[in-house]
Parts: sequence; structure tokens; C-alpha cells
Amino acid sequence: MLEAAAEKKGQELSGSVPGRGGAAERVYAQERRASRSLHGLALLFFCALAVFAAIARAAGDSFFLRLATEALIFGGLAISTDILLGFAGLLSLGQALYFGLGAYASALVMKDVQPSFWLALGASAGAGLLAGLLGGLIASRVRGVYFALITFGLAQVVAKVIYNTRELGASDGIIGIPIIQVPVGFATVEANSPAGFFLVVFVAAMLLYAVLSFLAGTPFGRLLAALRINQSRLPFLGWPAGPIKLAAFVIAAAIASVAGGLYPMLRGFVSPELMYFEMSTNAIIAVVIGGTGTLIGPLLGAMLLVFGKSVIGTFTEYHQIVIGALFMAAVLFFPRGLAGVVKAQFGSPKKGTG
Amino acid sequence: MEYIQFVLAPQMLNGLSFGVSVILMALGLTIIFGLLDVINMAHGEFYAIGAYTGFVLLGAGFSFWAVIALVPILMLPLGYAVQRFLVRRAFNSGDRHTLSLLLTLGLSMIVADLLRMGFGPNTVRPETPVKGGLELLGIFLPAYRATLIALGSAIIAAVYLLVYRTSLGAMIRAAAYDRNMAASLGVPVERVYSATFAFGVALAGLSGVLLSPVFSVFPTMGHDFLVLAFTVVIVGGLGSIKGAVLAGLLLTQIQAVSSLFISPVWSDPIVFGIMVLVLMLRPQGLFGKIGYA
Repeated sequence: MLEAAAEKKGQELSGSVPGRGGAAERVYAQERRASRSLHGLALLFFCALAVFAAIARAAGDSFFLRLATEALIFGGLAISTDILLGFAGLLSLGQALYFGLGAYASALVMKDVQPSFWLALGASAGAGLLAGLLGGLIASRVRGVYFALITFGLAQVVAKVIYNTRELGASDGIIGIPIIQVPVGFATVEANSPAGFFLVVFVAAMLLYAVLSFLAGTPFGRLLAALRINQSRLPFLGWPAGPIKLAAFVIAAAIASVAGGLYPMLRGFVSPELMYFEMSTNAIIAVVIGGTGTLIGPLLGAMLLVFGKSVIGTFTEYHQIVIGALFMAAVLFFPRGLAGVVKAQFGSPKKGTG
Repeated sequence: MEYIQFVLAPQMLNGLSFGVSVILMALGLTIIFGLLDVINMAHGEFYAIGAYTGFVLLGAGFSFWAVIALVPILMLPLGYAVQRFLVRRAFNSGDRHTLSLLLTLGLSMIVADLLRMGFGPNTVRPETPVKGGLELLGIFLPAYRATLIALGSAIIAAVYLLVYRTSLGAMIRAAAYDRNMAASLGVPVERVYSATFAFGVALAGLSGVLLSPVFSVFPTMGHDFLVLAFTVVIVGGLGSIKGAVLAGLLLTQIQAVSSLFISPVWSDPIVFGIMVLVLMLRPQGLFGKIGYA
């Protein structure tokens, strides 16, 4: 109802002021429809996941619950990749760096300082902010291919350094991380309880989705879109491109890092592989398959990728062929991904009214 | 003096033989980028395909010299097909860089697994074709490394002459500088694109076959090597042939000499660190793009 009224108002406006006002109003109405269809998809996704978890819990499963938890954690990395690629238009080939740093920070705190959930996550967030600021100061100076290659180079350097540092376990990583208690207000959850920890990560993913959805609608979200569409024009509107890029980079790094901080709580170890190129490319694959430029797309893609790998892996050890082929098909034929298909199906104006 | 003769000079010569191979690989990357604006993430897999093709041909009884000539020729149709049916699709989209990068990334995943499927995950090593060593001014050098340096330098020189001194090279440079203008002057731009991509792929394959007796052959052999080749291309300037040669020599020498003083495992971070520094201070690299010089 409200929307129809808004649309009518838009048409009236375009009637009285020919040209721009009406067009802008139509664009806004279309965007509202698109974002509502995406929120619908997100609701469906979270509900389906909750139902799945309930069934798995009732059936006494732990493998698939842990896999889903890992997929959600990996979804955090995918979302952070998408903030850069889909929102700011910057392709990062080294986002796993921040995921890995967060994981190491959290693992070190839990093992050597104090096995505390909030302290470990705080350390992850701090490491992510700091590393993101440093990396961002380097990377936000360049754009396009150079941005892709500089993020790639940064991740390679740090991964190699950690791989060669004996104090951080070198190629073996850090093992033997204690099982921690997660305080959730009225009760505590043990991190090795599959359903309990799934719930913790599930709530965190929903919170992340909500916060980022809000952020995308703020003027800052608009600036990111402007950055993506035409970086050179941004300064003419009075906004410097560099700091906006830096802010996006730091936010993305912090998200990746906090997601990484949850990883050792689930799996009990960290290793340099967490920041390898393969991890970064997997995040890109999840984003592209799920839907670039949406917030639910990366989560959807991460879930599909992690479960897809596990399922395909039972048939053949060569799952990269299948995933690579799917990824290429997505790039060629569905460049907007699954969420993009939904958006186009339900979010575009009906024919005749447009 | 003895230090130079027995430690420093052999190390630098080893670095040189490695550098020549890296340059061959980087030349393919940089030409493809300079002309097509494509970051070819599958270049490392083409390098591996070249090495495996060479290994199979050697097993079939061909001599090493025949294999060196055959592998690049066999790589040409593969490169042509990849450009014609895959990379070209990314061309008409708005974000050509990202799309072609993602496409070749997917391709590299598939090829790496296909290689693992066909040849198993283990390492194979072709026999060194030129045995023995030679001594120059008291410095010992394995004969195959000397061959590698001579052959590689000749090929690099040939590529340079091809791009800068032949009419085919003029067409390539014209298409890189302004594709519309080149097309209206009668350059068959689409065909030049395909041919150049195939040429770059052939160079990667050649590099793979030349290095296979030194570093042996395994499915992911291209990964680390690609990182180094990218570093060379970036430091030299994306699309610059001169830059790739100079940066290739410089970086492999830094790697070789630095590993005398500190543990060799740190040579990779040093080289990548240089890449990041160059990207920050001079993102266009040491030299400009192909077609602009």
C-alpha cells in the first residue's frame, strides 16, 4: 500500500516536474522493491537454516551442524569480500589475510592469555582494525587491477612470514586451543557443543546482516556506490575517494577478522592455509555464485560452496573441476549470482508500469 | 676472491638461469595484459601444461631439442581456443579486468585438477638433457643451466625483435595503443588478439618445459611461479617488455644474493615486499605500457 502510494506520488511528481524528479523517484521505488525482495530472501535463508539446525539437533547430528557453522564463519569472509567488490567496486585477492590474522589473534589469546570468548573476539577485531588500517593505507592509493594485485601481494607476504615464524607454529599452525565457554547473557554455551556454537554464530551472522543492511542505506553506503560507479567523479561532488576507500577497507578487514576469530573456537586449531590465496579465491567464488553487491548473496554462496565441496567430495576428490566450472558458468551467464536472479525476478517493476 | 669464485658467482649465475625462465613466463603475462587488458590467472597452469606435455613427449622418445620446439607449437591452438571461446566473452562487458580475471581464475582451478587427475599428485622429473658442467674463469656452472641462459636469452631477444621490429609486432602495438584506430587502418584486431594470447600461452609452456629438469613437474608447479612472474610484471610495469626483462633480472638476483645472507625462506617475502613498495610508490612500474613506448 505504502509503496503504491509512493509510486503514485512519483508519477504525480513526474507529471508536474517533467524529467528528473520522476526518474529519481522511480529509481528509488525500484530500489526499495529490490532490497525488499533481497530481505525476503535473507529471511528465507535464515529460517531454512534454523529449521535445518533444529532437525540436525533432533537427529543427534554433529558433522553437518559443524559444517554449517563453518559455512557461516566463511560467509563472514565472503561478506567482507563483497563489501569491497560488490559495494565499493574493489576486487580483493587477499581478503583471507584478515581472516587468518583474526584467527591467529583469537587462537593466541585463548591459548596463552585467557580462554575468554569476548577477549578473543576483541583481539581479533583489534588485529583486523589495525591490519586493515595498515593494508588500507597501502591499497587505497591504487585502483582497478593494481588494487587486486596489491591485496594479493600483501596477503602473500604475510602468509609467507607466518609460515616461516617458528613462534607461531610455522607451517603447522597453532594446535591445542582450549575449549571455551561462550557467555550468552543468561547462560553459557560450550564452544564444542555443535548446536550451541551454531546458535552463537547464527545470531552473529544475523546481527552482521542487519547492521550492514542499515549501513548500506546510509549516506556512507551511497558513497560506496558512487565510488564503484565512477571514482573520478567523486571528488567533484566534494568527497575525497581515498578516505572512503580506506573506510570500506577497514570495515571489510574487521569483519573478516572477527569471522576468523570464531574459526579456532570451532575447529580448535589455526594454520597458515587460512590466509592463503585459495581461501581468498573461495571467498570470491562464494560472492560471485551467491550474488555480488548483495548482503545475502555471500552467505548463500558460502553455504553452497562449503556444502557443495563436502557433497562433491564424497563422490570424487577432484571437486575443484566442478566448482571451477560452476564458477565460470556463473561469471559468464549469471554475473549477478543467485541473489541477483531473485532480485531480477521479484524486484523489477512489472511490465507496463515501468 | 675465493668467496666470489665459489659462492657469490655461482649463486648469481643460478639466479640468472632462473631469471631467464621467469622472464619468459612474465613476457607472456605482460604481453597479454598490455594488449588485451587481461590479468591471466591461468598462466601458471599453462606453464604446468607445457611441462607435462614436454614430459609426455620425452617419454614417447622425442629428443629434448625436438620437445623444446614442439611444446610451444602444441600450446598455440590451446591458447587460441581459450582466447576465442572464453576471454573474448569478457571483452564486451563493462568491467573487463575483473571479469577476465575471474574467468581465468576458474579455468586455472579446472586445469590444476585435470592435471592431478591425469598425472597424479606426485612429482615427476625429466632427466637433465645436457649433462656435465663447464668452467668459466674458474667458476663452475652445470651445463644445462648454461644452455638455459643461452637459449632463454635468444628467445627473449627474438620476442623483443618480433614486437618492436616486425610488421606483425607493429600491428600488435597498434592494437594495444588504440584498437579502433588500428581496426580502421586495416589491422585484423580480433585475430591479433587471439594470436597474441596464443603466443603468450606458448611462452608459458616453453618456460615450463625448459625449467622442468631443474624444478621437476607437479600439478601445482605453476602457483608459486606465477606469483613471482606477477611480481616481475608489476615491478617492470604491466605491459612493458623491457620492464619485464629488467625486473626479472633484478628480482631473481636479489633473491639469489639475499639467500646467501639470510635463510632462503625469506627471499619470497623480500621480493613481494618490493612489489608492494613499487605498487605504492610507482604503480605504473619501472616502464610504461606496450604500444606507448
